[in-house]
Amino acid sequence: MNFQMPDFSLALPELWVATMACVILVVDLFARGRESAPAFYLTQLTLLVGIWLAIDAQWGRDAVTFSGSYVADNLAVVLKVAMMGLGLLAFAYSRDYLRQRDLLKGEFYVLGLLGILGMMVMASAHSMLTMYLGLELLSLCQYALVAFNRDSRMGSEAAMKYFVLGALSSGLLLYGLSMVYGVTGSLDLGVIREAAAGVGAQNIMLAFGLTFVVVGVAFKFGAVPFHMWIPDVYQGAPTAVTLYIGTAPKVAAVALFMRLIGEGLAGLQEHWELMLVILAVGSLAVGNIFALVQTNMKRLLAYSTISHVGFLLLGFIAGTPEGYTAALFYAVSYSLMAAGAFGMVILLSRRGFEAEEVEDMKGLNDRHSGFAFIMLILMFSMTGVPGTVGFYAKWLVLKAVIDVDMVWLAVVAVIFAVIGAFYYLRVLKMVYFDRVEGGEALQAPAGLRVVLAGNGLAVLILGIFPDSLIAACAAAFGS
Amino acid sequence: MSLLLIALLPFLCIPLPLLAVHYGRTACAWVTALGPAIALALLLGSAPTVFGGETVTVAWSWLPVLGLELAFVLDGYSLLFAALILGIGLLIILYARYYLSESDPMGRFYAMLLAFMGAMLGIVLSNNLILMVIFWELTSISSFLLIGYWRHLAEARQGARMALTITGAGGLCLLAGVLLLGEIVGSYELTTVLDSGELIRAHPLYELTLVLILLGAFTKSAQVPFHFWLPHAMAAPTPVSAYLHSATMVKAGVFLLARLFPALAGSDLWFFLVSGVGLATLVFGAYGALFKDDLKGLLAYSTISHLGLITLLFGLGTPAGAVAGVFHIINHATFKASLFMSAGIIDHEAGTRDIRRLGGLRHKMPHTMWLATIAAASMAGVPLLNGFISKEMFFAEVVVESERLGAAGWLLPAVATLGGLLSAAYSIRFVHDVFFGDSRESLPKEPHEPPRYMRVPVEVLIGICVAVGVAPALVIGPVLDVAMAGVLRGEVPYYSLALWHGFKLPLFMSVIALGGGLLLYLWRDRAEALHERVFPAITGKGTFEAVLAGAVALSRGITRAFDNGSVQRNLAWLLTAAIVLGGYGLWTGGYSVGDAHQTPAPWAAFGIWAMLLAAMTALVVLHRNRLIALILVGVAGLLSAVTFIYISAPDLALTQLSVEVVSVILLLMALRLLPEHTPRESSAGRRLRDGALAVLGGGGVAAAAYAVMTQPFTTISDYHLVNSVPGGGGSNVVNVILVDFRGFDTFGEITVLGIAAACVFALLAQGASATESAHRESNHPLMLLVGSRVMLPMMVAVALYIFLRGHNLPGGGFIAGLVATVALVTQYMASGIHWSERRFTGSYFPVIGWGLLIAGATGVVSWLFGAPFLTSAYTYVDWPVLGHFEIASAMAFDLGVFLTVVGAVVLMLANLGKQPAHGDKEESSWSS
Repeated sequence: MNFQMPDFSLALPELWVATMACVILVVDLFARGRESAPAFYLTQLTLLVGIWLAIDAQWGRDAVTFSGSYVADNLAVVLKVAMMGLGLLAFAYSRDYLRQRDLLKGEFYVLGLLGILGMMVMASAHSMLTMYLGLELLSLCQYALVAFNRDSRMGSEAAMKYFVLGALSSGLLLYGLSMVYGVTGSLDLGVIREAAAGVGAQNIMLAFGLTFVVVGVAFKFGAVPFHMWIPDVYQGAPTAVTLYIGTAPKVAAVALFMRLIGEGLAGLQEHWELMLVILAVGSLAVGNIFALVQTNMKRLLAYSTISHVGFLLLGFIAGTPEGYTAALFYAVSYSLMAAGAFGMVILLSRRGFEAEEVEDMKGLNDRHSGFAFIMLILMFSMTGVPGTVGFYAKWLVLKAVIDVDMVWLAVVAVIFAVIGAFYYLRVLKMVYFDRVEGGEALQAPAGLRVVLAGNGLAVLILGIFPDSLIAACAAAFGS
Repeated sequence: MSLLLIALLPFLCIPLPLLAVHYGRTACAWVTALGPAIALALLLGSAPTVFGGETVTVAWSWLPVLGLELAFVLDGYSLLFAALILGIGLLIILYARYYLSESDPMGRFYAMLLAFMGAMLGIVLSNNLILMVIFWELTSISSFLLIGYWRHLAEARQGARMALTITGAGGLCLLAGVLLLGEIVGSYELTTVLDSGELIRAHPLYELTLVLILLGAFTKSAQVPFHFWLPHAMAAPTPVSAYLHSATMVKAGVFLLARLFPALAGSDLWFFLVSGVGLATLVFGAYGALFKDDLKGLLAYSTISHLGLITLLFGLGTPAGAVAGVFHIINHATFKASLFMSAGIIDHEAGTRDIRRLGGLRHKMPHTMWLATIAAASMAGVPLLNGFISKEMFFAEVVVESERLGAAGWLLPAVATLGGLLSAAYSIRFVHDVFFGDSRESLPKEPHEPPRYMRVPVEVLIGICVAVGVAPALVIGPVLDVAMAGVLRGEVPYYSLALWHGFKLPLFMSVIALGGGLLLYLWRDRAEALHERVFPAITGKGTFEAVLAGAVALSRGITRAFDNGSVQRNLAWLLTAAIVLGGYGLWTGGYSVGDAHQTPAPWAAFGIWAMLLAAMTALVVLHRNRLIALILVGVAGLLSAVTFIYISAPDLALTQLSVEVVSVILLLMALRLLPEHTPRESSAGRRLRDGALAVLGGGGVAAAAYAVMTQPFTTISDYHLVNSVPGGGGSNVVNVILVDFRGFDTFGEITVLGIAAACVFALLAQGASATESAHRESNHPLMLLVGSRVMLPMMVAVALYIFLRGHNLPGGGFIAGLVATVALVTQYMASGIHWSERRFTGSYFPVIGWGLLIAGATGVVSWLFGAPFLTSAYTYVDWPVLGHFEIASAMAFDLGVFLTVVGAVVLMLANLGKQPAHGDKEESSWSS
């Protein structure tokens, strides 16, 4: 047997998170206590240590282990830090929301952590098998989380739909992967890269396989026409879960794309480029046009996500390190904004009342001008108003596509961004100018206020000093 | 350094008014004025340097990756604008102190005003295009807040939103244009861009860049057809209108035209676009102003018109035109700001600004009357005032440039004169209708002169108007010179600021404009009647709202069609997209069938296919009867087993057979819980759609599979066949794969099986009831009962045999487990749950647990020998009776598999069997 002991130390972050997820499951069983407090603090500790481990064990490395199925490099580190950081944020937001609805159970943290583990595995995948493993781990956790409130009909329905569509798309992805395997004879993404470049897309199996890989990736992103699950799931899931699903998994989708297509099938760029153009333009159009008429805040944010995915894909289309940097930066900064926006929905909700309608934003300025200002920053950032982090994100992707002489695509994107500005402004109009009868002062736990204020501040500061984040993203692609 | 301070001082001072408001309103105003005053002093301090011909630049790196720098430039042009912004800003601060009422939150107002001032300063001082766009958007945002300052007014909210939508969208276009510009030049530094005019105009992206940048400029400067937001922004407090909508923000657009003049101007496209839009705006605005009854509305349209005039001047693309344009920017800022403030005073003191309700105010407000009259005269272009001089320059330029239009050359001067004529008419109307005529009685307030210091800002501006008008060369000449040096970046053409140019065409045009304006005013009743007859009320606002409503309606329609929450429809879309993309993949890949060695197909294969097809067709047709469907599925399974036997794979066939039997029994058990028939739920159309998708998708996959499988390839079977005996010590390849090559998989699978069994138990435990009554027990057929008793030991023996020989001959722990399961389940079926449970008293959970434990332990043991998890070892022994056997560590593992399978499956089956069948509950409720 030619068996080599893998270098476990490289995969320390994943091992740590996996171990801790199991530990937390058991700890929570015995020390449930009041509101699963040990589970909460252990989870946050796990993620903090995980971030440190990822940086410590993997930054600056470029090593492959586990028989070529796991890679530790800068890209993996940036992705993992972003995933765990967003997870940290999501758990911090969720606590009060779940407590008020009697949903605060240790399983939430375990499922969430395992989902993050799945994402981390995706970030470090160097084989199609590892990638699929991570993807399924993430997806399964998400299905369960969507149905976390078992008494909610909408939640169960959304979970069911998500599961059916997700299973189908997983199948399609697997189908594509099997074709790629058939041509290249390897699961190792490094080998596939060489082989695919050699064979070229004239090979029918490869072209066919590539198509279905793209379909699978598009589903994970929620790019049109594979976006249908997003509105239903965002709306149906408990807001805390929506916050989780709407943030870190976007970064995971970047990992999925980068590892499988951006790196693995780089040789076929001219073929996937065209498909991505269709997906991007479709997402921009559908996301923005559909968002115009949404009255439910979570649904509005869902369609807004779809339109942002359209923008993000532009960076991939460019197919250059700058483009990938832009896409990664977009994913991270968008996730940060989305976390804030969903956090705002959580803030306005209370026991027995979900502030899901856009109308519920009315008169926020009268109720608390500080949070109204945070909402202002978030919405402007999503619009892409200069001086906010969203602006740099849009600028980077637009610059990337212009650099590869696809000016028309940039123009289309800008037109849809202009349309998109309208519904963000509608929210702001309600926040600032509309008044409601009996809009009492805002009641929210101190913890939630601190998290939300911190999140708003982060968006604001990144809007003024985006340099370091951009540099980190660029370092992930070796420049 | 002081340049940075000038640009940032207003921002730094934003908190001051918010804090100072607690110490009284006057204190608040003073504190607010502090920042701009210092900034102005610093600015004037650097003025000598600029007048000396130098350009001051400062730069700090901000975002080098993207070429964004915190860079500012001070040349003559930006000096002029910055001085205008700060100077008029200070006057506005003073004015607003008296304008705002006690109930208005003053601190907030001043804070927002400072934010706006800072943004505006940023635009004119930026030396980096991106930085300029950032400030550009900041002006949109701060003006949004300022227009909506009086939130209780619905029109204020509407106006604010409209202004932000239009200017914000324009700003995004500008951003795109600037990005393209930076792409062309390779730098976002303003001074570099301005020096690259030739390069830019020759670039293929020039047209697109120009159009995008112009969109930004036109929306901001309220040019037709984007003009309509400006009149609606008049809902803002008057100081805001005076500052933003006459002197500064709307000037940002024309500022940009002048700033980028050396880079962009000079092409035909520039000429036609910019001067065309300018001309249209000039006439349209002036015409609109004539029929406005709201004082501020009139001024808003007049502002639009004058902005059109300035745009037209820059559009001509000549240096002399640019001089006239910049000069008119200064003049317009002075007289229009004073007019707005006068209108504010009237509104403030008389309580209304409706021209129809006002009149005869000359007696009550003589001082204000003089101020307003002088300002309006300047607007109309009366000699000895600044408006006259720039208007003369405008006419002169238009006459010179009209040659470019050839035969239609008369058009340009004629339309320009018409604009001047209308301008004179509404100026007269503004003054005459308000201050002259009969006094009105029914005013909301008794009008009187405003407080002393509310008039001071107006007086200062009027003073400038007159001074410039009387002695232009002396007062404004040097400033204009140095500003133009900044705009044109080089030689300033000869121009004359003299009052008298002799009897030439421009003078006649002025005379016609003034005289015609007077006549038009005298005949205003007839003009109004004509206006109402000819122009129905198509307003920009109406169009804007119609467009919005249309967009929303369209969006709603599309949303309803696509997003109705139906998972079937979503699936259909997803599959359609996948099929289309897959088809595209097949098409680009070029569909071709390979010529790999193909297995010959004798009659038996055709027979199996025929049976399979028949069974599947029957399944499609009869699937609503669940029992029949299940049987047909079983047929398919059996046919697979037959296929395996046919191609000489007995081990596979045995596995398939036992799996098939157990799963059919499981499904049968579950079937008891369901109604007999599947109801028909989908419409004919949907079935058609689904059918078509199924045929397309299936056909596509079949085509792809055929193409793929006829390619030459090597399978991994060979590896397993070769390594089975030396590597795993068994000749039954399937079993070796299960327990050795893929041992880890199997371990995972049996774990899953155990978990699934526990889940089934947990789910069914609630509904489980031992209500099986005695008469049912007696219903069990006797033949089966007796037969099963006899069969039990035999089946267990078979299971044991299969288990033991499994590693080399068809069999193994998995199959043995299934066989044993069937043996046990047969007892359940034949004799009933109660009978069986009385005999098998134990729980199945420990069986599962032991199975898993044994399998896991086998894996761990290999660690003790320093080998990785689940490494197998084997040896051979001769057993009596049974013969030559092999003992492999895999056997222990196989035992684990066996136990888990038996435990899990029986647990599931037994619990399914305990459930009351579908319909039982109803029956019992009927009977009770």
